[in-house]
Amino acid sequence: MAPSAAAADSSPPSSPETTENRLQPFFVLHEASSRKPERTSTGTVKTRKKIDFSPSKLKNVEKPDVEIAKEGGDEGYGNLRMDAFEVVWSKIESTIKDVLRDINANVFNEIHQWVRDSFSTIRSFGMLTFREATQAFPIVTDASSKQLFTGLVLTKNMEFVDDLLTFEELGRHLKSQGCHVANLSSLDFTAKSGIGGCLRSLLRQFLVAPLDAADISILASWYREQGNYNNPVVVIVDDIERCCGSVLSDFILMFSEWVLKIPVILIMGVTTTLDAPRNILPSNVLQRLCPCMFTLGTPSERMDAIIEAVLVRQCSGFSISHKVAVFMRNYFVRQDGTITSFIRALKIACSQHFSMEPLSIILKGFFLEEDRQGLQDGLLLQAMFKHAFDLPSYGRNKMGEENVGSFAHCLSELKRSQTEWRTVVLCLYEAGKGDRIQLLDLLCEALNPALYSSRTSGTFTKVDKGHGVSPSNNFPVQQHPIMRKGRLICQAVQKVRDLPIAQLYKLLKRWEELTVDINEIHAKLKELLSVIKLENGRSSRQDMADSSKRPVSRSQLNIEKESRAVNEKAASLIECMVRDYMQPVECSPLHEIVCFKNVETLQLALIGDPRRRIQIDLLESYKILRCSCCSRSGHSLLPSLHDTSILYNLAQEHGDHINLHDWYQSFKSKVCSSRSKGKHKSKQSPLPKKRKDMNEPDKPCEASIQARFCKAVTELQITGLIRMPTKRRPDFVQRVAFGL
Amino acid sequence: MELNDGEEEEFGFSRNYFLAKDLAASGKKSTHKLSDINLVDEQELRAAASNIEPKHEKEIVSLIDSYKSLYSRWVFMLRCGFGLLMYGFGSKKALLEDFASTALTEYSVVVINGYLQSINIKQVVITLAEVLWNQCKSKRKTPSRNLPRAQQPFNSRSMDDLFAFLDGSELKENDYFVCVVIHNIDGPGLRDSETQQHLGRIASCSHIRMIASIDHVNAPLLWDKKMVHTQFNWHWYHVPTFAPYKVEGMFFPLILAHGSSAQTAKTAAIVLQSLTPNAQSVFKILAEYQLSHPDEEGNQVTLNSHLTEFKDHELVKTRRHSDGQDCFYIPLASEALEKLLSEINQ
Repeated sequence: MAPSAAAADSSPPSSPETTENRLQPFFVLHEASSRKPERTSTGTVKTRKKIDFSPSKLKNVEKPDVEIAKEGGDEGYGNLRMDAFEVVWSKIESTIKDVLRDINANVFNEIHQWVRDSFSTIRSFGMLTFREATQAFPIVTDASSKQLFTGLVLTKNMEFVDDLLTFEELGRHLKSQGCHVANLSSLDFTAKSGIGGCLRSLLRQFLVAPLDAADISILASWYREQGNYNNPVVVIVDDIERCCGSVLSDFILMFSEWVLKIPVILIMGVTTTLDAPRNILPSNVLQRLCPCMFTLGTPSERMDAIIEAVLVRQCSGFSISHKVAVFMRNYFVRQDGTITSFIRALKIACSQHFSMEPLSIILKGFFLEEDRQGLQDGLLLQAMFKHAFDLPSYGRNKMGEENVGSFAHCLSELKRSQTEWRTVVLCLYEAGKGDRIQLLDLLCEALNPALYSSRTSGTFTKVDKGHGVSPSNNFPVQQHPIMRKGRLICQAVQKVRDLPIAQLYKLLKRWEELTVDINEIHAKLKELLSVIKLENGRSSRQDMADSSKRPVSRSQLNIEKESRAVNEKAASLIECMVRDYMQPVECSPLHEIVCFKNVETLQLALIGDPRRRIQIDLLESYKILRCSCCSRSGHSLLPSLHDTSILYNLAQEHGDHINLHDWYQSFKSKVCSSRSKGKHKSKQSPLPKKRKDMNEPDKPCEASIQARFCKAVTELQITGLIRMPTKRRPDFVQRVAFGL
Repeated sequence: MELNDGEEEEFGFSRNYFLAKDLAASGKKSTHKLSDINLVDEQELRAAASNIEPKHEKEIVSLIDSYKSLYSRWVFMLRCGFGLLMYGFGSKKALLEDFASTALTEYSVVVINGYLQSINIKQVVITLAEVLWNQCKSKRKTPSRNLPRAQQPFNSRSMDDLFAFLDGSELKENDYFVCVVIHNIDGPGLRDSETQQHLGRIASCSHIRMIASIDHVNAPLLWDKKMVHTQFNWHWYHVPTFAPYKVEGMFFPLILAHGSSAQTAKTAAIVLQSLTPNAQSVFKILAEYQLSHPDEEGNQVTLNSHLTEFKDHELVKTRRHSDGQDCFYIPLASEALEKLLSEINQ
């Protein structure tokens, strides 16, 4: 919602509209001013200062000393933030790209191999003579040479948005391997543009120069002339199910005729099942295809990989709060289910962070270990410290002195605790992998400050860090608060208890790699690993000695007992780690600098809910307008309410069809009751002219009421909340929305 | 979502569809006719409509003013690559144009009035390309030498070429874009899916940023996930203004006025204004013919292309003449037609 603070000092909205412009379908409002784009406009400087440096959550909005760089440094500061955002986001973006590329690498290589094999098969049908090759019509030999090699890529996504990027990447991959590649989308296969549309798009992509004619022989001569002869032509269609079947059929039939001259290899995305081509294409077309199946990774695999790379491992330093993480998980799981939208949500969170948190610019220099020239400006630096010491998390932790030293100390502590946190989360994730624990879910638990405080404020004393892992440190699972609350963390620890010794050994080895940065844990792991080695050695020796003489039962029992002890030790180690090292970011002082917390603004930006919100606007207009006249009414409708608001409130009393006559009458009676209260209203109006209006004859002017009714109905029609009378029901409008 | 669960109960007046249905079925359905209202004269109604005393003027002004403090954040989001989608009750036309003309002065701004009946998207794209071209030229002191100006002028290029230019990798700089303000991207002139696809492609171009408003509660249904996530890339803003929908409502008939000549002539004039001058003159000839031959219908078979356009906008209709020929006529009374002619002759 809009802050009211700035309302006082601003002028009424200018209305640049002229009658001509209003009725032009479109017009140029203004051309860019000659100033460089790096500078920001002067029009809003006055208000910007306040906004820039005062997130609405903070109480000290009005404090003038929070404002940064009063004299002219403001614009530069805004650009600093923009720069910082660009650095951080491009880091995140490229990380995501790398992750997705790695995930797809195997399938992509497989596809490339198949493309090469298919190409040599086509070649094996024989080289064309010069004469054959230059004729402007296809070569037909036998049926087998009319087959079109077709890769069907199962995307396992119900939504094809995520695959757009995958197919783009696939195209790039094949291009880098020397293939000629064109990406077509289902929009190229519409009945309206027909086969000519796809051809034009192909010619565009292969020949680069725009052409008017869409003729396949142009493509053939391009292929012949460019010395392209040793490489296949790959055409990728992202989603076969969204294509127009008849156009796709024509496309396949045509290219199968030409396949000797243009060795086209098709790759088509399939989102549902492998039956899809059969449902879309007639059998004579299907006969021309020589299909081969490929399968992409599942969305949840990709999701986990992205979460790991971007939010758990050290990537950009940007992090999100527990509430934001939970919101984003729910958004992914319940609402949208596409990686694309999840990344978009992350980007909105990131840009909002930089737009609202003044100190976010530190992220660029501090966590990415890059130049800190933004911080060289003394004035800026001072203002930033001032702001930092006002952060709630700083005050809460009562850090004592407020100087540069303590600020730097806090930041490095934050960095350290973050490193520890990510180490433990990754260890838990490794442990839980066998149980298919999703990292996104685990992340939500690991970020939860409530769980952490229940951990630390529990009855347990902190384990002495020099202490070795001993059975005496084993806390029974049931008593541990984190174990009661954190379901997944608990599950992961339990998994450690249950692992067979060989897998446990592997897991501990993996932990050893992960914990390199935390000496204490690393040391304990080494100790534990050596114990396992020792016992392994002993048990195998025992095995050999025992096997010939005694029945196995007793020695087996021993081994089991011993390995259980190791499991127990490992489990208590991870418990220790969770308790002592997994401090959620929100528990650190100054975390506001790196951590985006404002879940409400993120939600508003991501999920516009016009259906609900526009209705609420109308039903509760007085809350938004904040007028003195309408708000005191409670639930009864006051005549001073906005006309459309009155009318929509009245509409709630009707069924799915509203009788216009009745609606009008109730509107009229509502509005006319204002006459009795007219005096009261006029007292509030400072303008004498208005008072005069009120003093005019009390008789309600019928025309004016009818006009107001008409206007309100029109406005409801614009919002789509009612439908106009039909010929069948000329006296009724239809309600469209029922409930919010 | 857990955040909103509590609010739901607060709205005692909200009722669901079935309750509404019940209400309708419970026999209380009114049989009153619209004509039972003592309707005032058409002219009087119109005069009154143009003189409605605004309510809450002061509060509306300060509400709209309060959004000014958000302008800098909006610009930030634009620069981050998002499109801004404004919604909430009330006309947002003045708000968006104020934002564009105060906070976006460094960028060229093109405004599309989506509330109008017909908008030629190709013309819009050509204009965008020209504006971007001008912006590039003025930004560099050495004009056009290192810019690969294609041979053809923009207005003879294909849509694909134009999109390629707007998305151009030719212009390297990041923070370099033309802003498109669209009033009512859900409006009648833009509502069809082909237009929305084009708008999506415009929005996805790297040198374009979009600021749009919607008013219809079902507007999001215009877009599929590809458009929402990869093309428009909306950042939603709830900015109710409660400002009257003056222009936006101009084309809607007043519900208490029935088929008046004044209104239809007026909307016909507005539609005609958005057509090409050539089409306008064809219509004029047809109108003049109809006025001078009140008992005949003209046979204008050769003017198919214009006529189709007229038919689409219901400026002309056909009827079968007694001798079996299809005849065109303008469905307006002579008096209304004269009024219209005088208006387009101005």
